[in-house]
Amino acid sequence: MKKECVAMLLAGGQGSRLYVLTSDMAKPAVPFGGKYRIIDFPLSNCANSGIDTVGVLTQYRPLELNSYIGSGLPWDLDGDGGVHILPPYMGSAGGTWYKGTANAIYQNMGFIDLYSPEYVLILSGDHIYKMDYSRMLRRHKESGAACTISVMEVPWDEAPRFGIMAVDEEDLVTEFEEKPLHPKSNLASMGIYVFTWKKLREYLTEDERNPSSENDFGKNVIPAMLEAGERMAAYRFSGYWKDVGTLVSLWDANMDMLSLDSGLDLRDEAWPIYARSVNGPPAYFSGTCRVSHSAVNRGDEIEGTVENSVLSPNVVVGAGARVSYSVLLPGVTVEPGAVVEYAILGEKCRLGTGCHVGGAPDQTAPESWGLTALAPGCCVEAGRQVAPGTMLNRNGEEVAR
Amino acid sequence: MNGLHGIVFAYKNRSDLRELTQVRAAASIPFGGRHRAIDFVLSTLVNAGVTDVGLVLYGQYQSLLDHVGTGKDWNLSRKRGGLRLLPLFSDEREWGTVPFRGKMEVLGSVRSYLQQIRQDDVVLMDGDLVANLPLKEIYEAHQASGADITVVCGSDSTAAPDGTYIQADEEGRVREVLFRLHAPRGRRCMEVFLLSKELLLELVDECAAHDQFSFRRDVLQARKDQMNIRTYLWGGYVAQFRSVVGYYERSMQLLCPAVRRELFHPDRPIRAKGEDKSSTYIGADGVCINSLVAEGCNIEGRVENSVLFPGVTVAAGAEVRNCILFKETSVGSGTLLSHIIADKRVRVNPNRTLMGHAAYPVVLAKESVI
Repeated sequence: MKKECVAMLLAGGQGSRLYVLTSDMAKPAVPFGGKYRIIDFPLSNCANSGIDTVGVLTQYRPLELNSYIGSGLPWDLDGDGGVHILPPYMGSAGGTWYKGTANAIYQNMGFIDLYSPEYVLILSGDHIYKMDYSRMLRRHKESGAACTISVMEVPWDEAPRFGIMAVDEEDLVTEFEEKPLHPKSNLASMGIYVFTWKKLREYLTEDERNPSSENDFGKNVIPAMLEAGERMAAYRFSGYWKDVGTLVSLWDANMDMLSLDSGLDLRDEAWPIYARSVNGPPAYFSGTCRVSHSAVNRGDEIEGTVENSVLSPNVVVGAGARVSYSVLLPGVTVEPGAVVEYAILGEKCRLGTGCHVGGAPDQTAPESWGLTALAPGCCVEAGRQVAPGTMLNRNGEEVAR
Repeated sequence: MNGLHGIVFAYKNRSDLRELTQVRAAASIPFGGRHRAIDFVLSTLVNAGVTDVGLVLYGQYQSLLDHVGTGKDWNLSRKRGGLRLLPLFSDEREWGTVPFRGKMEVLGSVRSYLQQIRQDDVVLMDGDLVANLPLKEIYEAHQASGADITVVCGSDSTAAPDGTYIQADEEGRVREVLFRLHAPRGRRCMEVFLLSKELLLELVDECAAHDQFSFRRDVLQARKDQMNIRTYLWGGYVAQFRSVVGYYERSMQLLCPAVRRELFHPDRPIRAKGEDKSSTYIGADGVCINSLVAEGCNIEGRVENSVLFPGVTVAAGAEVRNCILFKETSVGSGTLLSHIIADKRVRVNPNRTLMGHAAYPVVLAKESVI
């Protein structure tokens, strides 16, 4: 069956900078914004942009992600085309893990060829943003490029953290530098590419023959195409976009969701973000609770105080407990009198009565302050103090960053 | 084959529910912040392992169809069996505008469907019964007792308009079936009946032959001495909506944690149609106490003792007390609402004051603008 464009979503990332949160799951499966997971954003963007065929490349602890995606029904991706999980596999001549982003696509050329597409859209599974890929595809077609790279302007002082594009007056890419010390422009690559499939196929095959290549789009394939003089277009995106690869950026993005001024509006019904939702009754706010500037979800039971926080589904906050500036992932229980500040609590964490997890920056020496993170399933016994910046694993033991 | 088949009646329209049933069948009345009445019946069936359900529809069932869809949300969209929609076609008969006089007549009109039922036993339920029944246990009790018919009864005898009341002896044998009582006596019947497919077909044919149409009169009352009809008592939460006040009271009871724990028992989850709204947001100056709030709400004002369905907006400076606000209701700033039931997408403009009373909650019809 022929498709004009197939999306390939790179979801293999271990997400090691999310530390304990990704000890049991791939980064794209990490819950975000109360009822979502990170991967809901690219999947929903695909559905809303009219792309109905998506390959999801996984290799790191895929169980959670696989069962979450399932048939793709929540994103309307269960019909013609649909969403396909693509793990590394063995062939008659052996097989390997995905060596890099480009190699992951190389190993799945057979999948893409099934749909004989004109174009392939490469996405990554660790960004929070809303984007109409059909506009990017139009830019690609109109510019006649072999590759179109989505870019956005970033503050100059942050530019050295990104892949930076220099462009000409037609917004065609003239130069690409990965994390330059002295950036020539402030247009950062968002890791979203549209390729003309025929071209990409050639470059992937060539890249695979080069033993010194790291088989990475940003480091190898894009530079090789520029080198060969291929027409490379930039597509300018403006709007909310955040890489949630670190604890701090994941926390930031959750806080951004609470204020519309951040530009992240998840209530806009014209561009819905879909999710596989859990079952549960509506949230219950008791007569004694105090909740302000916070997001609340299904199955939550709140008796204590919640401020500036994001509560995922099935969270319990007991009487006299206080949760502030924190992100509580699904199924967390905060027992009566416990305090949580500036923390990310993994799924099904349980905080005993009267314990104190994390702390506010203004009450902590600046050099020792940091977000506190608890691994999924971690139980903090009653009365225990967990200092700001600490990370606890599943067994409640402290681990180093 | 061994097992239970569900037949759900969603055809009766309860005129005493005022504006709430103007636009929908009683079975699709929103209840409890994110559900429709039918969710409870379908979930009860599915949680008991029932895989095949016939849903009998008549009159104003558009909203119901929209809600149940293919039955996917209850895992009833199946290759074999699953949810079957049975719209009744009113045939021209001498009694004119009331096409069906009772359950037996309705069952007679879907007789060909009954004949194709794969399971040995059948459970009949009303689509607007809100309860989380342990149907699996009820079915086991039915089989163990050797009853011809098992009637599920509440443990009280609260008066309900048009209620049926059952008196049974110590062994649970039904001795008296009563209705149209001013002072109810006996147990309140929940209109849940278990019997074999074979017996059901026999009764349908017998009733048709004698122009009998009522299940409670022509089956239960008339045959209680010839047949082994037994009761199963259920002491848990049950809501049968027969009036706006009753609906209001039953909704407010959900604010009690014990009632919620029972109705939303984790072992028997109540499933509902999916919803793609974002998280609910409580603003910096918003207050929300003793309330049930579904997803996608935006609360900048004050909400107290209320049940809010998805996507309700309460502006800063607005106050909502003792209210039930259906999906996407919006309340403007400076407005005070008390004891109001607002149907879907009602818009109450700023600086309005609307107050009902617990004994007479005011219902605002769907999409009205105040």
